[in-house]
Amino acid sequence: MSSTRAEIFEQVRARYIGLLTSILWKLTGDRELFTEAMQYALLGIWRHLGKLNSKKAHVYIYRIALSANSKAWRNRIGRNGELNPNHIDCEKSPDEKPDRDELATLVRREICRLPAKQAKAIVMRYLEQQDYQAIAGKLSCTEASVRSHVSKALATLKNRLAALT
Amino acid sequence: MNGEKIEEILKNIGNDDVPADVHKIAEDLSKDFSKTLAQPRQPGHIVLGDYIMKSRFTKLAAAAAVIIIVLFVGLPFVGKKHHGVALADVLAKVEQAKAFMYKMHINMSGSMMTGKPGEITEMDYTITISKDYGWKWETDTNVPNTGKTITQTMYILPGQKSMIMIMPEMKKYMQMEFDDEFIARTKKQNNDPREMIKQIMGSQYTELGRSVIDGKEVEGFHTTDPAMLGGAGENIKYTLWVDTKSWLPVRAEMDFKMGEQMEANGVIYDYQWDIPVTASDFEPVIPEDFTPISSEAIKMPSMSEEAAIEGLKFFVENYGQYPKKLDMLNLAKEFTELKTKEFVELQKGEASTDAGRKSKGEPNQVEFEQGIKKTMEIMRPIQSLGMFYMTLVQDKKEPVYYGESIGPNDADKVLLQWKVSEEQYRVIFGNLTTVDITAEELAELEALQPK
Repeated sequence: MSSTRAEIFEQVRARYIGLLTSILWKLTGDRELFTEAMQYALLGIWRHLGKLNSKKAHVYIYRIALSANSKAWRNRIGRNGELNPNHIDCEKSPDEKPDRDELATLVRREICRLPAKQAKAIVMRYLEQQDYQAIAGKLSCTEASVRSHVSKALATLKNRLAALT
Repeated sequence: MNGEKIEEILKNIGNDDVPADVHKIAEDLSKDFSKTLAQPRQPGHIVLGDYIMKSRFTKLAAAAAVIIIVLFVGLPFVGKKHHGVALADVLAKVEQAKAFMYKMHINMSGSMMTGKPGEITEMDYTITISKDYGWKWETDTNVPNTGKTITQTMYILPGQKSMIMIMPEMKKYMQMEFDDEFIARTKKQNNDPREMIKQIMGSQYTELGRSVIDGKEVEGFHTTDPAMLGGAGENIKYTLWVDTKSWLPVRAEMDFKMGEQMEANGVIYDYQWDIPVTASDFEPVIPEDFTPISSEAIKMPSMSEEAAIEGLKFFVENYGQYPKKLDMLNLAKEFTELKTKEFVELQKGEASTDAGRKSKGEPNQVEFEQGIKKTMEIMRPIQSLGMFYMTLVQDKKEPVYYGESIGPNDADKVLLQWKVSEEQYRVIFGNLTTVDITAEELAELEALQPK
């Protein structure tokens, strides 16, 4: 029984490790965060192995990746929502403009706080660069819904980043 | 910042290639994870071996906590399983077996420590129980993220009031002494199926009807009663399958959460009833070059009310508060976190000294033994408290604990209450005094409790 479960895990791992690595790296951009998120993701795969052996496996992988990413970020972000300055120096004085990397970090940090559907849509649309039709097919919804999620997510990110920068 | 710029940043992130070393990190992590799944396992005892050898105090404390959980949460599983079965008709059959054997596999996932990445620990047990001689547990446990497996053998010998654990990888053994209460409870839970069947019959269970396991027709019984794990687990699902011809247990399955971060599931299988055993099967064989973990026998924590009060006293004296919860896992988790804080503070102080820096290395034999002994001493009152609460839950004494709202100055407020009879309740107040009261008197006290 356990060996069967371990075998299924191995199959799922082999099938999705590349995708998971890509998503988690783009969502974290930091080796320490990535390592932590990947461990959460592997644990998530183990816990939800049954779902990952089904037709909707690809959707669950995104869910697992986003959940793992959020957990890893939560460990780094304090209760007040501020990044731990020991980890990432992205808080600048009012006169200083964040550079490209710092903006990317801020965007990543805010993605993990988006509602699940919006985060999934943003990841698929921009980080994975999939077209709307493909995303709609994977999320089992209409293209219009996907566009709506993306649009809302962009607006949220814009507002939050405007406040931060 | 405008929307276009956000899109540009997102596209740039999307265009970033994954560095080769990150691919390697991912591969290594996932393969390590797979490895731990593919190997034999078992947690608590193992954790003792590996974690303790790496050892800082917090790890010692965590390891000791896990051992206790495995020992005392694990035992009820065993009892429940085979005794579990369907009830009265099965009871007679189970009682006929003077010795029996079964296997158990448990997966534990998650982390005891808040904020730490989870791990998967798998345990395989082969357990032999004789009404005449005692128990023998042979275990294989994987050590998470190391690919290592540790084998241990534990003997519980009621006649000698002792437990002996042999750890071949470490060439060590540990001896613990029990008190009469532990022995009585052990017999009740594991050697007297009638008690266990009564407990399950006394809980709300569902008859699952018939199914087939390994070609045998079986009948299933399912319960979600928290008492099955002595209050140590939540969202418990426990299913027992009984052979419809022999009316003996064939398989038991369990699934539960421990706190918010840990989950466990397990299966008991390959039961062999009424097997021939001899006294020599239960005589520990300790090679000559094995050394004891402690030169003195370690005393098993008492699970009496007095010992529980000592545990509460210890907690409040050391941390200024009572534990928030009393189930074994949450108690161990809270204690470990408090100990971790204490350790971090200690490390900050020591880091500035040469002695402090030197002390961070691997412990030598003397340090190791002292570490084990100190951990056991420190954990004992906490273990007693958790075990006492567990007995209250298992005995369905309806314990109610107010550790989150009651402190040591609340002399007139109830800290812990439980039922001793239909009309009588026992109460421990915030100042740790005790009293027996009636249901009406308890109702009056409850009205005064903070909301």
